[in-house]
Amino acid sequence: MSDAELIILGIETSCDETAAACVRGGTDVLSSVVSSQVDLHARFGGVVPEIASRAHNELIIPVTARALVEAGLDGSRIDAVAATTGPGLIGALLVGVSAAKALALTWDVPFISVNHLEAHLYAAFLEDPELTFPLVVLLVSGGHTMLVCMEGHGRYRLLGSTLDDAAGEAFDKVARFLGLGYPGGPAIDHEALSGDPEAIAFPRSMMDQGLDFSFSGLKTSVVNYVRKHPEVSTADVAASFQAAVVDVLVTKARRAAAEVGATALAIGGGVAANSLLREQFLGACATDGLHGFLPSRSMCTDNAAMIASAGWYEYRLHGSSSLATGANPNLRLSTIA
Amino acid sequence: MLILGIETATVQAGCAIGGHEGVLASAHSAKGKRHAENLTPAIAFICEQAQIELSEIGLVAVDIGPGLFTGLRVGVATAKAVAFALRVPMIGVSSLDLLAFPVRFTSRLIVAAIDARRNELYYALYRQVPGGVQRISEPTVGSADDLASELLALSEEVLLVGDGAHRYREAFDGLTKVEIVDQGNSFPSAASLVQLAHARALREDFQQIDSIQPMYLRRPDAEINWATRDSAP
Repeated sequence: MSDAELIILGIETSCDETAAACVRGGTDVLSSVVSSQVDLHARFGGVVPEIASRAHNELIIPVTARALVEAGLDGSRIDAVAATTGPGLIGALLVGVSAAKALALTWDVPFISVNHLEAHLYAAFLEDPELTFPLVVLLVSGGHTMLVCMEGHGRYRLLGSTLDDAAGEAFDKVARFLGLGYPGGPAIDHEALSGDPEAIAFPRSMMDQGLDFSFSGLKTSVVNYVRKHPEVSTADVAASFQAAVVDVLVTKARRAAAEVGATALAIGGGVAANSLLREQFLGACATDGLHGFLPSRSMCTDNAAMIASAGWYEYRLHGSSSLATGANPNLRLSTIA
Repeated sequence: MLILGIETATVQAGCAIGGHEGVLASAHSAKGKRHAENLTPAIAFICEQAQIELSEIGLVAVDIGPGLFTGLRVGVATAKAVAFALRVPMIGVSSLDLLAFPVRFTSRLIVAAIDARRNELYYALYRQVPGGVQRISEPTVGSADDLASELLALSEEVLLVGDGAHRYREAFDGLTKVEIVDQGNSFPSAASLVQLAHARALREDFQQIDSIQPMYLRRPDAEINWATRDSAP
């Protein structure tokens, strides 16, 4: 069978989404099922690891079964099973890894270990297989903020990353402080629609320095400002905070693309669903003459189609993984020098 | 009917294959909490040893706890995935039943106790009945001192079994009627799981995959803290 025909079942349980998907040939998504636990965690204002692990354990088989049914496939048609082995919450990861390895063993097909960060990079290729190298990807989520240069399939260079909070984490913390609820990204995005982004000049940390990020100072500035000006409009604070984050993200992504001579720029991760970031990102790409790629919103957040896709590339490059593979909560992106 | 048994409720993880001829092959390890790494290769290994194809398995049995949460979920997720892929039914058995079963040849009261960490135990009381044991109390979580007081009040000869009995041994020191079973029997075994599941399979006491859930006995800490916060004045 040619690689283009290979059907991979992807499984993702690294945080608070239980997901399974069937993808043919790395890019043809036959099904993609995501069961979000957001309601289970909302009252705690963040993901509670033990609650997430319990929910994954209940959902993993029904979600997998639905992915097969929606793809119109029987288990015997699956050619390999790929699962996220890290980074993420250890208890959550272990549910998906255990189920995936057991499915691979029982169906007698290869198991493929997938790095969650690498999968986010491949989310771009799923929807735009025409992307060319070198490609710079801005990966922004609740757990990560990084700029990666993809020089080829499986060849990455980490250009910069956050020194403290991830961008999504800053959204969650500021939203909680402003009483806008959880998750913070959509809440601030919505509130900012009726605010003035220039009302308050929040600091743009490390704007002129390199490609690393820092968001904890911004979060503190928001808290201090609101305490000092209790009468301020929440919408103005949300809009000004969002503008500061997006300004830094877009400026550094452009700088990264210029430094490595990238032909294309893509964004990924949950924060890539932010309206202002999407608008400014596309504007910047047009100005700089770069091929810009914006994933659909469903591909920004955690899903298993990107796991199956990354698994397909991983399998072609390195073959299958051992059934003795465990989970690694601190897994890094393996980079070239 | 061939049964695959999977057991990962304590620091030990194991699996076994068997049926009406008894246990044909088993494997277990109790070092390094490598449940997720070891379990799938161990299943492949016992199939090879017993010269059985996984596709010949007609039932998947699993230890549903109580026990250590993360380890337990590795076993339950693995067992469910195998049953789903093979389209076969499941049987869930409590870890405490698995501890009591091998030491059943006694007229004494049997108490199975698993280390629940944080100075607590998961435990239940059993009596021998023809062919096995009968649980006479609901599995519960409590301190070793709570259990010791309970046993003192019963004033009965007791056989105490499980890693929890060893971990909190000093709590039972003064109880002359209580004997602690040696370390060799202090973990639930996958072999016992296959035997107990076989007896239930003969009665066609099967379960659907979705009805198999770990027996946690404790709520997540965040929920406990939340509940406490709500009830605070």
